[in-house]
Amino acid sequence: MTDSLTPFFRAARRLRAAAVAAPLVFVAPFAGAQTADEVRADVLALTAPGTNGRAVGSPGAAQARRYLIAELAAAGAQPLPGRGQLGIPFSFVERVDDRGSMLRAGGHRRFGSDQVRALAFSESGEVRGELHFVGYGIRLPEGAEVRYDSYAGQEVRDKVVLALRYFPDGAEGDERSLFQRHSGLRAKAIAAREAGAAGLVIVSGPRSPNPGELAPDGFDIAAPGGQGIAAVSVDGPAGESLFAGSGRELEAVQRSLDGGDPLDGSFPLPGVATLTVDLERVRGTGANVVGILPAADGGFAPPWIAIGAHYDHLGMGGSGSLNPHGPPEVHPGADDNASGTAAVLAMARQVAETPLARPLLVAFWSGEESGLLGSTAFVRDEIVPAELLAYVNLDMVGRLEDNRLTVQALGSSPVWPRIVERANVPGGFDLALGDDPYLPTDSSAFNSAGVPTLNLFTGTHPDYHRPTDTADRLNYEGLARVARFAGLVARRVADLDEAPAFVRVERSPDQTPARASMTAYTGTIPEYATEVEGLLLGGVMAGGPAEAAGLAKGDVIVEFGGTPVLNIYDYMNALAGVRIGEPVTVVYRRDGERRTTTLTPTPRP
Amino acid sequence: MILSLRRAAGRCLIVPFLLLPGLSGPAAAQDDESRFLNRIRRLTVEGARAGEGYFSPDGREMVFQSEREPGNPFFQIYWMSLETGDIRRVSPGIGKTTCAFLSGKNGDILFASTHLDPRSLELQQEEIAFRESGRERRYAWDYDPAMDIFVEQRSDGELVRLTDARGYDAEASYSPDGEWIVFTSNRPMFEEALKGREARLAEVDPSYFAEIYRMRADGSGQERLTSVPGYDGGPFYFPDGSRIVWRRFSEDGLIADVWTMNPDGSDPQRVTDFGAMSWAPYVHPSLQYILFASNKLGFSNFEVYMVDLAGEKEPVRVTTSDGFDGLPVPTPDGNGLAWTSGRHGGPGSQIYLADWDHEAALEALRSAPLRGSR
Repeated sequence: MTDSLTPFFRAARRLRAAAVAAPLVFVAPFAGAQTADEVRADVLALTAPGTNGRAVGSPGAAQARRYLIAELAAAGAQPLPGRGQLGIPFSFVERVDDRGSMLRAGGHRRFGSDQVRALAFSESGEVRGELHFVGYGIRLPEGAEVRYDSYAGQEVRDKVVLALRYFPDGAEGDERSLFQRHSGLRAKAIAAREAGAAGLVIVSGPRSPNPGELAPDGFDIAAPGGQGIAAVSVDGPAGESLFAGSGRELEAVQRSLDGGDPLDGSFPLPGVATLTVDLERVRGTGANVVGILPAADGGFAPPWIAIGAHYDHLGMGGSGSLNPHGPPEVHPGADDNASGTAAVLAMARQVAETPLARPLLVAFWSGEESGLLGSTAFVRDEIVPAELLAYVNLDMVGRLEDNRLTVQALGSSPVWPRIVERANVPGGFDLALGDDPYLPTDSSAFNSAGVPTLNLFTGTHPDYHRPTDTADRLNYEGLARVARFAGLVARRVADLDEAPAFVRVERSPDQTPARASMTAYTGTIPEYATEVEGLLLGGVMAGGPAEAAGLAKGDVIVEFGGTPVLNIYDYMNALAGVRIGEPVTVVYRRDGERRTTTLTPTPRP
Repeated sequence: MILSLRRAAGRCLIVPFLLLPGLSGPAAAQDDESRFLNRIRRLTVEGARAGEGYFSPDGREMVFQSEREPGNPFFQIYWMSLETGDIRRVSPGIGKTTCAFLSGKNGDILFASTHLDPRSLELQQEEIAFRESGRERRYAWDYDPAMDIFVEQRSDGELVRLTDARGYDAEASYSPDGEWIVFTSNRPMFEEALKGREARLAEVDPSYFAEIYRMRADGSGQERLTSVPGYDGGPFYFPDGSRIVWRRFSEDGLIADVWTMNPDGSDPQRVTDFGAMSWAPYVHPSLQYILFASNKLGFSNFEVYMVDLAGEKEPVRVTTSDGFDGLPVPTPDGNGLAWTSGRHGGPGSQIYLADWDHEAALEALRSAPLRGSR
């Protein structure tokens, strides 16, 4: 399942240069051990009035951040080399504003912002073209068990296409789940673009669940860029108006489409439409808090052991909440992740008292809930990953129950079992162990960069991502013990003679989106949450087709099998069309240079 | 069938690691292990399996066996500080080892090992090749005749050989004062001229000849304590040194029960009559009961049980989790229990430690029915 990758030569060299004989018996620092009262005080500060759920970029997050900076500075942490301060800002697209998109058809029909809503992944600008109706606008990948192509036999090049939202109502079983996966607004935009259309107009049909309603804009903070086509949704009257003059009723056409007959469901519409999209991608600023605590010899220089936790949460709710349609309400995120933040802080204070054999990088991330924004930006912009010996992450560690601590990502380095074992002798947990390093938390950003990771977790609970994740529900004795355990792990890593080797664990197929349609294997490891135009590779699987094709971490795929790739959605879409054994042409950027290679997918190993 | 049953029952972590999990019988709520066991924690993680953890008299150290030595698929012996989590290998790293024990007198570490067998590396390679072949078999303890008893002296780190008889010498433990060692040996198989049925048994089941022996801590004065046909093994002194507890197999090897005797072998007393494979007994420091493992609930479903010292009552079930539970060893203060368990799922057993509710144990033993009454 795993392939050992080259250990970090740089770090290993430094380590050898600085090698000291590890003492046979090391004395665990029980003096000054973290107490339940200490971590409780930190959790209370992080969930205090005014923090308002600590949403990335919000004043509440800033309040929490000030506390963390003050506490970390008091422990003696220094800023990263080249940085004058512990707070490290990062920029992200916070939201996309529609500044007045418009649709004109046939001169006198004109629809403004009350009837037209730009989709968040639309390109801005004006496009003009003949109108064409394309049914549900769905194009199932060629390899799929069911054939369905709204564009079959249609000439829509440079046209503005009108498509129904959702998918044919009559579909059942496997067919239905196929449609569900390929009928999102993104997928429809990609299908329209691939067919050569200049613009896409979506309408919720009269037979649909929300007839005539505008679609939500589909903003994805982790992929905020444009999808390569102008795309809007319009309300029912605007849609009907575009349909008018075709001599057919939209309701009747939709009924026929729902009956499973796509052949008669696409046809040209009379007239010409002009689509004007004016989107502003509004950038926000989040900030991580990162400091270095000196080693026992007083040194700050890398390699570092890194430990971190995200301090942001969902703010007043929103799409990440499990109560998304409730009124705005503070989501205090006491367990998620004031708990991990408090544990890291407590551990940092303890290391300040009794330093490790190596300097410790202490990090508090923001933007985790929006897609690992802070940790991803940090790994990309602020450090050389080889300067990290390992990264230990704490996310939701405040609900210890039945003495059960989950320790994840053990597969990322062969040193973990022995280190976890030795740390847990005094730690005293009933361990639940997992090898998989692909986790929905910040450790994944480090795993992508080739750093051994470990994630600590005390389990999920009914208050997860709800306003009821409050400070009074935490197990503070347990939280203090988790902090001590993390400290023992870091101490053991610091005492190693050599840098821990990194193992690239193969991602298990069931974690890949839309796995049913993905039988072919390419061995690419996409980097999620980037603003790069194209698909940035976080790595390639050792021995996989991508590696054989010469692709490597850091390459940006811009075209796959003839399909332009602007982001992860394009890439997933393109992947769905490849077949085992059939070579695919891949165009990618490396060091600013455009290159081409051929990749031959294999069966998934 | 008989053969594999017997072989699954040596004392030394003859843990059938291919047993299917999920075989524990249903336990009524009042029979849940949380009656006796609290704050369960996992002590070992590294390597394919670990087991047989025995404490130092002050409870700060443990010796155990584990398959974790790179290139060696067999158990080696390790020492662990229960305070810091430091662990080091004690045994030489090659060959097979089993059954470590710490001296209460000077911290010397006793264990059995085959490392002097020149075929050791070859056997390691064979075992690795077998496991890589993907074939499966029940875990089999082979009573390797090259197994002898050694001691690592704490004073100088020297490894000293204590037995050199032909045959399997293993399953050794110290008396509380550290002056005596009680152990298991099948040397009679090599000492006597075997005929007929016994000669055939020597081929298929060398454990049949195993008996309990004792010797001085320096290996002198080796003396046989039992002489009943069938496998006698797994002896431990009582915490006060007054007697020895061990398990005795029936002659046909189908059933094992817990026995006690005086340190000179006199006055053997049967403690259990449980009609199952009951083995790995260890006396609680209170001298009021014996903890042991038994497959009473099914051929491959081992659980930890306890029974009063005289065996007047029926044994009481302790563990109720899925997977193997056996080889119980109480902490020297009597308030904890270490045992070997497969409760985490996965292929190999590991060592667990929990707080032990001695009062609850006494209460459960008091209310247990008289032996033979059910």
